[in-house]
Amino acid sequence: MSQNYGKFYLRIDWTLLLLLISITGLGLLNLYSASANVKSPMFTQQIYWIFIGFSSFLITATIDYRIYKKYAYLIYVLGIISLILVLIVGMAKHGSKRWLIIGPMILQPSELMKIAVIFALARQVDAAPPKTDAGRTLKELIWPVVIISVPFLLIMIQPDLGTGLLILLIFFSIFFLLRLRLRSIITLASSLIILMPLIWTFVLKGYQKDRILTFLDPSIDPIGEGWHYRQSIFAIGSGKFFGKGFLSGTQSKFHFLPAQWSDFPFSVWAEEWGFLGSTVLIGLYMWLVLMCISIAKNSRDRFASVISIGVGALFFWHVIINIGMVMGLLPIVGVTLPLFSHGGSSMLTFMIAAGLIMSISSRKHSFE
Amino acid sequence: MRSQLLSDSGEIGKKYNYARLFIIICFLILVGRLIQLQIVYGNEYRQLSKDNFLQKRTLDASRGIITGQKGVVLAKNRIAFSVYITPQFFDEKAFEFLTSLLELNQADVDYIKQKILLAEGRKREYSLLALRDIPKEWVMIIESNYDQLPGVNIISQEKRFYPRGLLASHVVGYVGEVNREDIEKYKEMDYRARDWKGKYGIEKKSEKHLRGKKGFVWRVLDANGQVKTTDSALRWLPQPWKKDPVSGHNIKLTLDTRMQRALERSFKNYESGAAVILNVNNGKILAYLSKPAFDPNEMSGKLSASRAHEIYSSPLNPMLDKVSQGTYFPGSTYKIIPAIAALEEKLIADEEYHLCKGWYEFGRNSSFRCSHAHGLMNIHSAVVSSCNVFFFMLSERVGMDRMSRYAHLMGFGTTTGLSLNGEKAGFIPTKQWYAQKFQEGFRIGHTLNSAIGQGNVKVSVLQLAMVYALLANKGHLYQPQIIQKITDGQGVVIKDFKPIVKRKINLKMQTYDFMIDSLRGVVNDPSGTAYKSSLHNLKIAGKTGTAQVRAMARDDEDPQVSRWRFQDHAWFASFAPYDKPEIAVVVLVEHGGFASKAAVPLAMKIYQTYFEMNNN
Repeated sequence: MSQNYGKFYLRIDWTLLLLLISITGLGLLNLYSASANVKSPMFTQQIYWIFIGFSSFLITATIDYRIYKKYAYLIYVLGIISLILVLIVGMAKHGSKRWLIIGPMILQPSELMKIAVIFALARQVDAAPPKTDAGRTLKELIWPVVIISVPFLLIMIQPDLGTGLLILLIFFSIFFLLRLRLRSIITLASSLIILMPLIWTFVLKGYQKDRILTFLDPSIDPIGEGWHYRQSIFAIGSGKFFGKGFLSGTQSKFHFLPAQWSDFPFSVWAEEWGFLGSTVLIGLYMWLVLMCISIAKNSRDRFASVISIGVGALFFWHVIINIGMVMGLLPIVGVTLPLFSHGGSSMLTFMIAAGLIMSISSRKHSFE
Repeated sequence: MRSQLLSDSGEIGKKYNYARLFIIICFLILVGRLIQLQIVYGNEYRQLSKDNFLQKRTLDASRGIITGQKGVVLAKNRIAFSVYITPQFFDEKAFEFLTSLLELNQADVDYIKQKILLAEGRKREYSLLALRDIPKEWVMIIESNYDQLPGVNIISQEKRFYPRGLLASHVVGYVGEVNREDIEKYKEMDYRARDWKGKYGIEKKSEKHLRGKKGFVWRVLDANGQVKTTDSALRWLPQPWKKDPVSGHNIKLTLDTRMQRALERSFKNYESGAAVILNVNNGKILAYLSKPAFDPNEMSGKLSASRAHEIYSSPLNPMLDKVSQGTYFPGSTYKIIPAIAALEEKLIADEEYHLCKGWYEFGRNSSFRCSHAHGLMNIHSAVVSSCNVFFFMLSERVGMDRMSRYAHLMGFGTTTGLSLNGEKAGFIPTKQWYAQKFQEGFRIGHTLNSAIGQGNVKVSVLQLAMVYALLANKGHLYQPQIIQKITDGQGVVIKDFKPIVKRKINLKMQTYDFMIDSLRGVVNDPSGTAYKSSLHNLKIAGKTGTAQVRAMARDDEDPQVSRWRFQDHAWFASFAPYDKPEIAVVVLVEHGGFASKAAVPLAMKIYQTYFEMNNN
């Protein structure tokens, strides 16, 4: 069954490209400052990752997105296999098994799994449009739920609360934007509410519960997490309007910020660049997310649309959760700041995700 | 077909605008939070972030040194090491390691557990005192194991040290750690917890001079408590970032430590008493003894509750300064007052004789007795052989108030102005006082008792010494001085104390001459009360006194202690040489019995030492 791909007038989305380069560049600048007085090859490492990531971006963007539709399920299955591999031969750190060692690289398959899930959902949705105009019924949601449940459970076994949560959020984002029956919405929402205490009791580990409790009432602070919170908020607040200046953040220079390279880069940024720099960065992210859903709206088919929503949701939730967390609006969850945090898997994931958007955006104008 | 697919391609349709709105609102919430943190509370967080890594460390000032007149050091400082622990970094493992490393006793272990391991909240970020004044070996052991003792620090602090121990301890005094009350009460001194403060003697009196001024240094610390004050870190430090401490002033006392030692040696057979030696020509104190003494090193250290109880409840009262704080019946040493009053007021002639039969005929009461029947007495022989009967007669003639007036004139009844250890004024009664105080009012008997230094007359050893000195120098009532000179750390003189004449007392020259001659007779005439136990080559003049003690029997007391407590106080108030007076010596042997047996020989030893030292 040969598929007719039609012809696209390829136009590079320069705005998107510029946005990516800006965010990544600022992230690198920030890492330079954050790691300035730490004896670690972090900065050079990140340059390698950006190189690998950007190459992946170019490759992903060049390939016509309709080819991905063909391999969507295959990618999904490969992702599931890698998650199973992690559980068997993965590397454990801080009490959770999340990493695979491949040659010189350490990869976190759960990060890349987010993209595989988006692919699989897009393929499923594309093949099954709603049967009536009223929208999808619960029965029509069975397959999508199965698609996310398998990786979700595998990830929660590791355990990796942040990534598991992200997969759920991507799922809900996609389906709330698609046509759903009102009854389906109500049922989904109420099942989520019922699910929450169950997750609390059976899924969450002690330290995760502690983090949430600490967040709700910092005075409890059973494991000293409140200290991290306070230090992050001190860093951001002390930046004031103009910031303390590049390389002059005392909170990061004197190691008051915890894991500042992967989870707290925004605190470093806000301390040195102040309200001005912080709003610029937040603005760039908002622009990127709005672009994603705009591309979703204008894309030519349902597969592209779902991919775009998924990628938009991926960026959106990562940014909101990470920044919300470091500003003390949300409990501490290990969620990276897209293209900004130090770390290979995250960089690769977001570069590929951006490549997908680029691929779709550059192909919205057909010749017909 | 295709167009239908197009219209439904994204399925998003009208939800698109809601989604945009939702996204924008979420990002605006982030921006709102930024406004709150960086703009509304920006200044507060800037300060908090500074407090995080900037630490103001106080630099303690060295306390001034106290020396004797000839430079013998009586109080100085030594380095003491203490262990401080920051709970945030100190864990159970480190605690166990520290315990086994130093073989800590249970009390220390409990203290550390209580204070450091159980510290909560912000307290965990500050270093707390764990072990005070540790031995030198411990310092080495801990320093060589620092890597296994996270959060443990050794801090050196100066500690007061009294190299001469008990010598003149009531003058030198001691220091103690400030308590919360001190910090509140002496705000201008800016005390901080763990500061030392003078608690007794010169240490207390001259606290302002001795203390010095603290300095400070700002340091940059990272989250692990490591010091990062490098040149590049200077830009974060407030200006000025350093101020050197200023050492306290050094104090040179008027005390001659050799005389002090001689005085203490001569007192060695008596448990309790007081004595003072001073220069009659300037009021400077050469030796000052209150017995029993306390050990200032012990008092400045960690005094256990049981030991403190033992000291403070001792019947010998070691914490009382018996020279200026304790007041006593002066006994016969007080007879100079009615004598002077009678001579000045021309109420007695030298050749007027009275018969002493051993008691004084006064109303129905014959309790006014003499030591024995002295026979015919005039005022000179009455002083020499301390005849009570003659003075009973004389005091009736002088009267209570006139006697009281002369006593006040000579300096009794008011403080001398030494202002050390809460000096007491003593008491000289008047008719009016008796009228107010007693239901039966004033009686002549009160006058008779006052004349021989009993009844309600109370004087301090120091007052008596100042009065005898003024007789010796014929009219200069000096303010006694214990501090010779105050210098700063570089030796620059801050204050050099000149003699202060408190009052010039213009008695008739004949009165002074008569009194000096009579006091000479006490020591040098064969009938004198001090004659037998005196040295006659040293030209000493003085007056003995054996003062009865008013004591209450206590049921719970050791009978031996009771017997001791009921014995008379033995006095000897004196000066020498009588033709060219230099020093005055007043000795009080508490419950020493007869003056001639206890106090006089003791004073003789002191004079002997003094003249031996000053003739060489």
